[in-house]
Amino acid sequence: MRHRRRNFGFVVLFALGMLLVQAPLQDAVNRARPRVFDPSRRDPLQSIASIRGPTPVLIAALGGFRTVAADLLWLKVDQLWDGGAWYLLPSVMESVVQLDPHFLLGWEVYGWHLAYNLNTESVLEVDKRSWLDQGLQVLERAVTLNPDSWQMAFELGWTCFDRAHDMPRAAEYLYRASKLPDARSFAARLYYKTYERTLNFEKLWPALEYAQSRYKDEPQHQKLVKSSIEWWKTHQFDPQWHRYEIVRENSARQQRAVRFYLYPGNPYWNVCDRCGLPTKKGQPTCGACGKPFPPTSPKPV
Amino acid sequence: MSAQVSKLILMAGLIIVVAVLVLTRRIWGTALTHGLPSIWRIAKMTVAEARRKRVLQAVVVLVILILTSLTFFTYLNPEEQARMIIDSGLTTIAAFGMLLAIFIAAFMIPHEIEARTLYPILAKPVRRAEFLLGKYLGALIILGVVVAIMTVVLVGVLLLQDSMVEDLANSKFDPNLLPVLFAAAMSYCALAVLTALIMLISSVASTTMTVIGAVLLWVVGSMQSMLLDLSTKVTGATKVLTLAFFYAVPPLQNFDFRMEVSNHIGVSMPAAVFALERGLLYAIVALVVAAIFFDSRQV
Repeated sequence: MRHRRRNFGFVVLFALGMLLVQAPLQDAVNRARPRVFDPSRRDPLQSIASIRGPTPVLIAALGGFRTVAADLLWLKVDQLWDGGAWYLLPSVMESVVQLDPHFLLGWEVYGWHLAYNLNTESVLEVDKRSWLDQGLQVLERAVTLNPDSWQMAFELGWTCFDRAHDMPRAAEYLYRASKLPDARSFAARLYYKTYERTLNFEKLWPALEYAQSRYKDEPQHQKLVKSSIEWWKTHQFDPQWHRYEIVRENSARQQRAVRFYLYPGNPYWNVCDRCGLPTKKGQPTCGACGKPFPPTSPKPV
Repeated sequence: MSAQVSKLILMAGLIIVVAVLVLTRRIWGTALTHGLPSIWRIAKMTVAEARRKRVLQAVVVLVILILTSLTFFTYLNPEEQARMIIDSGLTTIAAFGMLLAIFIAAFMIPHEIEARTLYPILAKPVRRAEFLLGKYLGALIILGVVVAIMTVVLVGVLLLQDSMVEDLANSKFDPNLLPVLFAAAMSYCALAVLTALIMLISSVASTTMTVIGAVLLWVVGSMQSMLLDLSTKVTGATKVLTLAFFYAVPPLQNFDFRMEVSNHIGVSMPAAVFALERGLLYAIVALVVAAIFFDSRQV
């Protein structure tokens, strides 16, 4: 009996000692693999309690099969996509990226689907805005969770540039993307394009110089940057070109503003069929051009 | 944990471990110094026994079928196909490896006791610790062969697909072979740690309890990061308990590099080295404790 008790004591002591030895080693593993073991690098939504997948997905996630569960849901995304169930896709895609937050293609398609497809599919302008905002939020989360990935920063920068027309924000993310390892040269070129669009010469010249200083071994990139520099050297003080850019930007802005009111059955605004501008309902004439509205409830254009 | 506290904890732990190892040297020391031929003979015997089991062969065939069926995802784009094959293939290796580890290790000692084949062995000049280590080594050899077969099949599937799939301008099939081999090797290391733990449980418990315990340990060991997350959300004694649990659970997630490999993220070599060190220590703890328990067990 004494022999067994002594052995048990040794076991407890040994296990305690080894546990103490292993704790610093595990800390070293945690530091070396921040993607897996650093809670600050993880999406708050990523905890098991908030995964919005079906029960088998939760079970798979618990058993250490998160990425496989994400793969299976990705196959479901493919199936829904082919079936045209576009509005069901975001919830499945959300599960995919929560299960595997480093699945770049998943984030990319998720953000693009919200900011482009669902945005285009929506009829109401408020819905369009909402989908675009959601798409940008998704891509922002992707950038936060994958700070080393140039693709995610580029995707967010491109969506800001091309879809939200938010040039300062686009410039910020495109610059970040172009600085990251393995970044493609078009990220640096698109970075200075944001300043071209807003005619911000104070920042455009440094951006052009930055683009020229990168990718010295890519002749095509150097050629494109050089041609941009030559162009702006000629046109920087060309008032006609400035007017063209300003009119283009303003007309795009005006189009966006007008589109806000253009949807069937808008209860608040009448849209003039001559000038295309909106006037609050109840007014007898168009506030912009003075054309009288028909007495019956007018149909929006 | 600060660097100073880490060092202090490490030193305290080392002192305790060395003291216990010195005090129990008679149990494990002779097994390691004089018992190597016996250990090797028992390992060979274990491998020969396992080779005769039809279940093992059936599982290997099933895994090969599963891995070759991964070529069916042809409707996906090349990048998605590569991800699916790598991820599903490595998961198949990890999951079936775990099942085989449980199947092989959980039945070894209880079966020897129930079939009374242990007595003639112990009647010979073979210490119990040597018997245990021999069984462990045999299990490792079998698992190594099975994991190697599965990895070769997976690499073959990847190479086959690489030659068949046509890359698109913005989507390329990248077989990522070296990281796949690395992840498979790390899966094998996780199996080695799990097998040591199964040996520990089976040295004191029945077969059923061993199987249940092994599955639970595997699940908990795969949830290390979740425990760490949980520890950041609680305070006080619960936090201390959660952290203690985090450091105590088998470090199986440390060996899981599937996420990095399937997403083509660079693998952190220091993380792998630290994971191997911790896994080795964990396996040694499990085996020494198993040896002590098995030594005092009445059979």
